[in-house]
Amino acid sequence: MTIRSLIVPAMAASLLLAACKKEPPPPPPAPTGPTPEEIAAQRRADSIRRERERQDSIRRAEEEARRREAERQRRIREARETLTEMVFFDFDESAIKPSEERKLRAKVDILRANPSIRLRLDGHADERGSTEYNLALGARRAEAVKEFFVGFGLDASRFTTQSFGEERPLVNRSDEEAWAQNRRVEFHITAGEIGVGENDRDRP
Amino acid sequence: MIETTARRGGRPFGSAPAGLVLVALGVCAGAFPLRTAAQEERDSIPGVTLGLVYETESRPALAVMPFQAEPGLEDLAERVGAIVARDLRYSDRFEILDSLPQALAGTVDYQLWDQLGAVWLVTGRLEPDGDRVRLVLQLHDVVFGEIHEQRRYPLLSEDHPDFRMSVHVASDDVVESVTGDPGIAATRIAFSRRSLDGQTQDLFVIDSDGENLRRLTRHNTISLGPDWSPDGTRLVYTSFRPSIEEGRWGIFEIDLRSGEEREIRPNRAGQLGTPVYTPDGRRLAFSVRGSGRTGIFTYDLARDCCLQHVTGGNWEDLSPTFSPDGRWMAFNSSRLGTATPQIFVMPARGGEPDLVSPYLAGHRGYYTSPDWSPRGDLLAFHGRTGRFGRYQILVGDVSGEVGRLRRLTQLTWEGNNEDPSWAPDGRHLVFIGRRDWGTGLMIVDSATGEIRMLLRGVDVRVPDWSPPLRPEPRETLREGGF
Repeated sequence: MTIRSLIVPAMAASLLLAACKKEPPPPPPAPTGPTPEEIAAQRRADSIRRERERQDSIRRAEEEARRREAERQRRIREARETLTEMVFFDFDESAIKPSEERKLRAKVDILRANPSIRLRLDGHADERGSTEYNLALGARRAEAVKEFFVGFGLDASRFTTQSFGEERPLVNRSDEEAWAQNRRVEFHITAGEIGVGENDRDRP
Repeated sequence: MIETTARRGGRPFGSAPAGLVLVALGVCAGAFPLRTAAQEERDSIPGVTLGLVYETESRPALAVMPFQAEPGLEDLAERVGAIVARDLRYSDRFEILDSLPQALAGTVDYQLWDQLGAVWLVTGRLEPDGDRVRLVLQLHDVVFGEIHEQRRYPLLSEDHPDFRMSVHVASDDVVESVTGDPGIAATRIAFSRRSLDGQTQDLFVIDSDGENLRRLTRHNTISLGPDWSPDGTRLVYTSFRPSIEEGRWGIFEIDLRSGEEREIRPNRAGQLGTPVYTPDGRRLAFSVRGSGRTGIFTYDLARDCCLQHVTGGNWEDLSPTFSPDGRWMAFNSSRLGTATPQIFVMPARGGEPDLVSPYLAGHRGYYTSPDWSPRGDLLAFHGRTGRFGRYQILVGDVSGEVGRLRRLTQLTWEGNNEDPSWAPDGRHLVFIGRRDWGTGLMIVDSATGEIRMLLRGVDVRVPDWSPPLRPEPRETLREGGF
């Protein structure tokens, strides 16, 4: 450190000395080459071209940065969407269906890569059956999802569960299609950020 | 010997009372032939009789004469008379003769009424009582040609929220004088209602005649499942307290006189639900859910302490309801390990539960939301027989051996029907009916099967019928009786 702090001023001083020794400019050469006006014009053009190139390169760099940031945001968004995608259940059931297991597996990967993330799992039921039993059923569904995560080695303290029973339908109709959508667990991120760094670029 | 009389098609009303079947369900359930056709499963509940809980009775004709009034009170007398006439009609105990010509007022001709077939006659008169108004009500026994009962009732002023209640009290006395059973006019029904956006629910009350709809809470959250205290002055209910981390279902009590609310916070972590008062009003029973287990606990309200475990396990135990003597508790449980809940009965202080709902192995019968009748003989609940069944109101006769239904009766057969709650007469039930022609709070008379709409609306949730209510001040009202 001390050496570097000595070297830098020394170099600066020698540069200054070199500048002082410089001869005055020679007289203008015979008018065989370009005229001073032409030279000035050329210089101007060169300077404009360089400036343009410089700005282009900045713009390219910015575009690249923007593209990367957009890509990162897109990945975060995708990760968030994957993480918060609802899972659905069969009538009366709290067991996780194979089709929904895939969704949960994808969440497990994101949760492993982002250990600061905490989730609240909201269980819901369709309108059939009793209010009080559906509150229990919603709780059981949320707990089934939590158990799935814990089964994959995720820390149980990262998940909280609550149930809305049949009180907050996603689709407010009384038919099979609506009921199927209302039997669900919703995922809400309560803490932590999804990070997608350079290392994540090659992740599947 | 087992006989099933699940009479389908055709209205069971008017036919002979369907009380022919004794079903010892716990023993006999396995003996019923398995029904495989979906349509069968849709409609028939094993061992159930369709129709009426009580034997149909002949309904005596009761005439309500136009009420008389001192000068200046004529309009009020007309309104009061109309309230009484409707109350008596809604009691479902009489054939009501009303809207009689005003000219008849003041004359009581027993012979004439006898010829017209009336057995009872009600006359009323309004008179000033200081700065208030008094109703003098007479119940005449037409057959014996004499006044059976006469009472005075101080009326609250018409702008008082309990004005109608002060009239209903008189109607209930008529019912009780004639039948010996309590009336249901001076009662209310508490329930919750969904907001327009479907996100929140608040508590409401409505008089049992469909008037006087009032909103009780404005919490901007979900409040539901009210239960009246046995003295009718308070309600407990479940309410959601949201939080980013983890929302919480808690139990709250509202004092209907002061409007004050308090949270009941037993020292136990978990989600609380389905609170009810014990019949003595001193304790609450409710469910607690935590770490995958659910149990029913009681809690001393007056001393604000002493949480006691009654039953529970690695399943759901919910929705306790007590026999009026407080000795037995029915509740809802998934302890059979099936995906659907069943109804059990057990000693209120703990013990072995007996299955009472008509469970059939292999069928997805679903029975829930029990309510023990204030007379003690009946247990109402709702359920469906199989996976595709619709939900119907069922009434089990528990007046025999404990843990056995003597008879199971299906009171509804149209649409979906949920959350029955007994009126204090142990005969009427309020429930949520969803029909092609309308959805809302409906009242069924379990003796006649007649159903009336109490409050139309797709937004109504889980009702609870109050005990008999007496408007304040009670003492003043009692003074008039003799």
